[in-house]
Amino acid sequence: MPTDSQGSSVPLIFLGRPILSIRRNQIVNMDGNADQDEFEIFQKHVADRFLDLSSSPTTSSDAAATTTNDVDNFLSIAWLRKLLDVFICCEAEFKAILFLGRDSSNINKPPLDRLGPELLDRTVKALDVCNTINHSVEMLRHWQKLAEIAVMALKQSPLGEGQVRRAKKALHSLLASMTIDDKDAASSKLAERTWSFGRRGAAAAAAKERSTTGPPRLFTSWSVPKNWSAAKQIQAMSSNLVMPRGADSTGMAMPVFIMSTVIVIVTWTLVTAIPCQDRTGLLTHFALSRQLSWAGPIIGLQERIAEEWKKKEKKKSAGLLDEMQRLERCGQALIEFSDSFQYPAEAEKLEEVAMHVAELTETCKKMDEGLLPLQSQLREMFHRIVRSRTEILDVLEQNDKYSSLIL
Amino acid sequence: MESPESVSVELEAAENLILRWDSTASEEARERMIFDGADRQEADRYLRAVDEIQRSMASVSVSESPDGSGESGKVHGAIQIAMARLEDEFRNILITHTNPVEIDSLLVSNSFSNHSTSSRTDGAGESDAEEEHPVDGGSERRGSHREEELQEGEGSSSHSGSRTPNFRSTNSIREVDLVPSEAIYDLRNIAQRMITAGYLRECIQVYGSVRKSAVDSSFRRLGIEKLSIGEIQRLEWDAIETKIRRWIRAAKVCVRILFASEKRLCEQIFDGLGPAVDEACFMETVKGPAIQLFNFAEAISISRRSPEKLFKIIDLYDALSDLLPDVDVVFWSKSCESVRIQGAEILSRLAEAIRGILSEFENAVQREISRTPVPGGTIHPLTRYVMNYISLISDYKQTLLQLIMSNPSTASRYSGDPPTTDLEFPEPEDRSPLALHLVWVIVILESNLEWKSKLYKDASLSHLFLMNNVHYIVEKAKGSPELREMIGDDYLRKLTGKFRQAATSYQRSTWVSILYCLRDEGLHVSGSFSSGVSKTVLRERFKTFNAMFDEVHKTQATWLVPDLQLREELRISLSEKLIPAYRSFLGRYRSHMESGRHPEMYIKYSIEDLEAAVLDFFEGHAVSQNLKRRSH
Repeated sequence: MPTDSQGSSVPLIFLGRPILSIRRNQIVNMDGNADQDEFEIFQKHVADRFLDLSSSPTTSSDAAATTTNDVDNFLSIAWLRKLLDVFICCEAEFKAILFLGRDSSNINKPPLDRLGPELLDRTVKALDVCNTINHSVEMLRHWQKLAEIAVMALKQSPLGEGQVRRAKKALHSLLASMTIDDKDAASSKLAERTWSFGRRGAAAAAAKERSTTGPPRLFTSWSVPKNWSAAKQIQAMSSNLVMPRGADSTGMAMPVFIMSTVIVIVTWTLVTAIPCQDRTGLLTHFALSRQLSWAGPIIGLQERIAEEWKKKEKKKSAGLLDEMQRLERCGQALIEFSDSFQYPAEAEKLEEVAMHVAELTETCKKMDEGLLPLQSQLREMFHRIVRSRTEILDVLEQNDKYSSLIL
Repeated sequence: MESPESVSVELEAAENLILRWDSTASEEARERMIFDGADRQEADRYLRAVDEIQRSMASVSVSESPDGSGESGKVHGAIQIAMARLEDEFRNILITHTNPVEIDSLLVSNSFSNHSTSSRTDGAGESDAEEEHPVDGGSERRGSHREEELQEGEGSSSHSGSRTPNFRSTNSIREVDLVPSEAIYDLRNIAQRMITAGYLRECIQVYGSVRKSAVDSSFRRLGIEKLSIGEIQRLEWDAIETKIRRWIRAAKVCVRILFASEKRLCEQIFDGLGPAVDEACFMETVKGPAIQLFNFAEAISISRRSPEKLFKIIDLYDALSDLLPDVDVVFWSKSCESVRIQGAEILSRLAEAIRGILSEFENAVQREISRTPVPGGTIHPLTRYVMNYISLISDYKQTLLQLIMSNPSTASRYSGDPPTTDLEFPEPEDRSPLALHLVWVIVILESNLEWKSKLYKDASLSHLFLMNNVHYIVEKAKGSPELREMIGDDYLRKLTGKFRQAATSYQRSTWVSILYCLRDEGLHVSGSFSSGVSKTVLRERFKTFNAMFDEVHKTQATWLVPDLQLREELRISLSEKLIPAYRSFLGRYRSHMESGRHPEMYIKYSIEDLEAAVLDFFEGHAVSQNLKRRSH
């Protein structure tokens, strides 16, 4: 893991392109400016944490990758939990910089008097993302339950017609429910395709299932109105994210900018990994300047996820989340198997089924273990954002501009 | 013991029945439902057949090896066909027997209980409005509280003029039948078979999906909106107040009726059928809706803190804290923990918001630095606003006494105008922190007013302004028993002393110099044997008096003492000094003037003229220049 002291060397390794900040850091440090030191440490920590995150292995989505199970795969639940840990650490450090040993009334002076409210605006949007993602995790739990039904049915030995039908029904529900229309033209085609799977053999029960789970639909959350769009929120969060320049670049504007970037990348990652209401155009919204040493790993992470996203679009699959990909892949394979199933099944087929079932089992287990902690971390993220927001508001409200009695 | 033959005959019959209802096999089986009430006996036969198969499976699995024969496979096949069938039947019963909860009647009957508090809180925001009467409002609010308590368990016979008698109270948990009992009987029978056969997950899934959409539709009818936190931050506070009011009503119905009934339905169907099955089904159904419901309150609890929000947020806090014990009852199980926790979190965040708003209010009072003096020295809008505000606070004291636990931080966070150092803050023992906060608010208000009083160029007006405002504070405090009790008579006496002092200072600064014209000293020419009174000096005195009084009369008629009694007292008090002094001066020196030329130039006012002129003081409007020509 890259825990070397040269934080600024990290992007060199990562992006393979030179970054100009080493010299600047040294000059600033020679000034003996304590604030500046603190800011540099913050930057380095942010860079280190994201580098660590972006170096997790990706599952090869075509192989039945049960071998990598003991590692926290890129974009797996365990990995997202690490991402949230990173957020929580960065947030705590940022708050310390903002409030500890500093005259907090600075928040009312330029450029913070502008950046502060912008940050607050971002935090509100992040809170909504937290809530919708939390809802999506409930959906994941729902999918886990459906997968568990299939696992239970297919683990029976001997494997009879009835159990295969049972599994197929659950898997149909699973895939139908996972088919989320991201409002892209491509993915609405996916919807049809998923539904065309084995409909011939699927009984009335499956049709009934459809009437309750409904046809592939827009993903709607319980916490936000219908017109709320995750992609638009992210866009709004990042559109006014401007790198501090000139005199600002050495002051508090920099930590605020870094924290804002962290908020955006974390919420963006959550939304790409976990289905969320309206993700149209998620990729185009968020671009960071490459000029910044600490931003390297974040850009790297973003690029890597963007690649995955494009793959997902091409494959027309449902989610980036490792576990979702596995559910989808195994689910499709097992439906294909069940379509052609005849009792008794050939040994070779059964072996293949057993492999998929093992992967499904493993995936369900990970979901079972990981989803609840993930949700409490999302809550924790929510709480922390709220707490900092309240504290920043408190300071801002000492400013006459923000509070006056209505007389 | 039954013979093997009879067992296999019964088994075969059971299998046949199940196969006949295999919806993948025949059109008829697909079209018809077993449990639609048309053929009870068939339904019972079907359940018995399932039991028969399950029994035989149990014995088969003991006696035979699992990998084995056709017989075992066939039995397994039958049970799976039966389970697919039962799942459909289960869903169908649930869908066809979903009674919509009569939400409209629930809302109407409950709507008045929060009515009285709402209209009044708006007043705190607009101090330019006419005098409010929070005393009346206060008793109204307390009255409504009492009424709500009374309503528990019985109709509100005491409440005249309410639209509907409140037979359907939402102040305690009240379960309604969401599904008729015959249907529950069938559902339970089916659930039992599904769970025994290892189809628990399917059962939960089906149950959850149907009931959830029923809860969703109740939510829509209750008007529970999906609002994002961002959206709520953007809304005008007025709009939010309406939504809070609506939310409180809806939340009561949701927790005490909707969720409670869902919970009971789960128990009725699933109780005893397996460990925590009823809980799992309940959670599957209401977890999402419960969180959706709480999201609104949560969004309010983290909104920007400004003084005008206080009272509606206290309403929300009160409603939620009243509701939480029932939330704990309905969501008692371990799997519902997150709902309970979220409820408690929101409550504590609302409490925090309330404390924050109160301190924000104190800061705002301290920092209200409008520099334009109110014309005529009357009540400053700030004084009205603050006093209306704290008298509302005293109406909400039941809640606030619990929430406000620390004493005011009397050290100012601010420097500059108005200066707040050296504020004298009486800190009597055995007072609640809330009471101390109220006293503190008055202390900082007073100090702010003192600062504002210095903005007047005329010292007399400055005193009059202070007198008016402090008097207003005292009267307002005395007008509300709650407020009076909290501020305490000691402090009120001190304030009374203060405005009296201001009245005295006013009189001194205006009238000492005028009355000085009427003194005897300096008029007598010593050493002279003639009259002994200097006519020149005397003429000068009369002229000065006239000019000064004219001026004061003209100016101070435009000043305003809005309190009639105070105005009257002040006039009497100055008359008592002015009139006797003038009368005796006139009595002693009138003859000196009348013996000279043009006495009317010097004796401009009769006693009656002065008495009449005093009546013009502090009325707040200009008077005609020439007193003499005024008609009475």
